[in-house]
Amino acid sequence: MYRYDEFDAQIVKERVAQFRGQVERRLSGELLEDEFKPLRLQNGVYLQLHAYMLRVAIPYGQLNARQMRMLARIAREYDRNYGHFTTRQNIQFNWVALKDIPDVLALLAEVEMHAIQTSGNCIRNTTSDHYAGAARDEIMDPRPWCEIIRQWSTFHPEFAFLPRKFKIAVTGAEHDRAAIRVHDIGLHMRERDGVRGFEVHVGGGQGRTPHVAALVNDFVPEDRLLDYLEAIMRVYNLHGRRDNKYKARIKILVNELGPEEFTRQVEVEFAAQRPHEKIDLPQAEIERIHAYFAPPELATKPETSDAFEAAKANDKAFARWARINLHPHVTPGYTSVTVSLKPIGGLAGDATDAQMEIIANLAETYGQDDIRVSHAQNVILAHVALDDLPALYAELDAAGLATPNESLITDLIVCPGLDYCNLANARSIPVGQAVQQVFADPDYQEDIGRLHINISGCINACGHHHVGHIGILGVDKKGEEFYQITFGGRADEKAAIGDIAGPGLKSEDVPGALKRVVDRYRELRSGKDELFIDTLGRLGHDPFKEALYAAD
Amino acid sequence: MSSVRPKLKPETPKAVTAWETATGRTVWMTADGGWTTDTSKIGAFTGDAAEERLAAAAKQETDINDPYFMEVTEAGGITGRETLRETIRANGPTVTYGDKA
Repeated sequence: MYRYDEFDAQIVKERVAQFRGQVERRLSGELLEDEFKPLRLQNGVYLQLHAYMLRVAIPYGQLNARQMRMLARIAREYDRNYGHFTTRQNIQFNWVALKDIPDVLALLAEVEMHAIQTSGNCIRNTTSDHYAGAARDEIMDPRPWCEIIRQWSTFHPEFAFLPRKFKIAVTGAEHDRAAIRVHDIGLHMRERDGVRGFEVHVGGGQGRTPHVAALVNDFVPEDRLLDYLEAIMRVYNLHGRRDNKYKARIKILVNELGPEEFTRQVEVEFAAQRPHEKIDLPQAEIERIHAYFAPPELATKPETSDAFEAAKANDKAFARWARINLHPHVTPGYTSVTVSLKPIGGLAGDATDAQMEIIANLAETYGQDDIRVSHAQNVILAHVALDDLPALYAELDAAGLATPNESLITDLIVCPGLDYCNLANARSIPVGQAVQQVFADPDYQEDIGRLHINISGCINACGHHHVGHIGILGVDKKGEEFYQITFGGRADEKAAIGDIAGPGLKSEDVPGALKRVVDRYRELRSGKDELFIDTLGRLGHDPFKEALYAAD
Repeated sequence: MSSVRPKLKPETPKAVTAWETATGRTVWMTADGGWTTDTSKIGAFTGDAAEERLAAAAKQETDINDPYFMEVTEAGGITGRETLRETIRANGPTVTYGDKA
């Protein structure tokens, strides 16, 4: 993984010192909240319902054990013994006192971490495929380009005050696991005539006006990428609306201009860049960054493992976990392991300090010191030998981290909702827990197969409800929580925004209603291989709406 | 600055609530104009007196953040349309979390 050079280290250290001074001035009254708020937001500090929340960047979701241990320490010493992994592959601490945050940032800097660009109208943490550099179906590793984008965008003066926040995602596999088409810019790595490059999608996003991104260029060679991104950003910076917060995202601009006109303007801007403005990287620099992401040196192993096969034969629970929570690795004899943060009845994406320590230890022992956070709020050990899986599973299981549900119906994406968030209209967590309970039977879950339920507690859609196969949106109706259900969303290469099924449901009615929908799917599917989303596509939404609103 | 919350009629009993700057803890104004973290000591105000209390709170921005009105009973109990939100602000998440989950 990338390691800081002296410039990175200096920038982060100076930023901590600067923010320490700003906090001191806020606490002394020299700065009032209106003056301080933009400064704290530039350092990832929000004020939520009952406390400050600190959002820490995890660039493209990759961590090492030392960094995970520091997160555990912060949870223990400055928070309430846990942290929350987010849908943008970051981590949030919910109870940190403002007076302590400079000390927390100083600890983070010790392990090459920070909270820069986790808030505000700037280019945020670039997200990626959580199996990057490990997946068998990967064409190219997206992480070097995520890192290049990170370096280009960090403190970029031209893009420090954009009309609105800006999110970029990159994937290097045919199957999009990074939801790139619902980002402001989504980059899909491609190879053409031996040249590496990117398919560029612009103007995707969720929130109150969801859009799937438009394809604006089907191939930008990698050595032109940064210039092309600058051209997009300049068109947005010039013409994005600053008069209305709700119309300020680039998706509105792309939609109002139309994708063709937007693309034309980007191409004009791209062509007009003068030589001294070009920031295309020399090949040597591209290769230098790539070198940080060289694959781990894995011992040669056969495709199959006798120890793994024997454990599966002898232990049904282990066999189930192995069927569900493993992902094919590019190297024979290895796999990527999903460490589920979705125990039944638990809090999606939360991990205690003790669990973080255990994950760090396991990453060192079995996982090449490589930990990932997924946008689905789980943790991944990217490189694990099949031979080691029985021992790894035993330790995960003992720590409550071996729930066999990756991409199954209980692997819900759930935002913090009204239990934590100052913007939320309704609670998400208890509804997610209740939905998990009705589908808790592992055999039932496996029979249902891959089905993504995503929940947001308000229209800002941090819980990605628009792109859940089944989406749940919490709304407030005269002080009472109601939940709108959507069908047909998806976040992959066939990205789509779900359609609202009808009137909202009371929270206590949601689990039963969804069970009726799922059982209708099991009746109607053409076979066990037909996923819910495909049955929905084949038959339309009506049978499922009927089931949703059918009386018990 | 002030949070944008539902507007309350002048005669509706209301409390002034905010966050403590140094810690982020939720605080409420007491009847005598001090600040408390104890919900049994929430002061209820109406009419011009309430507006004066909010204005006074806004001048204390060194110690507290973002004061706003929330609806309460005459005795200072949380009530009204935002009961759930304000109850969560007062008592914490409705789910068990961290190592108690």
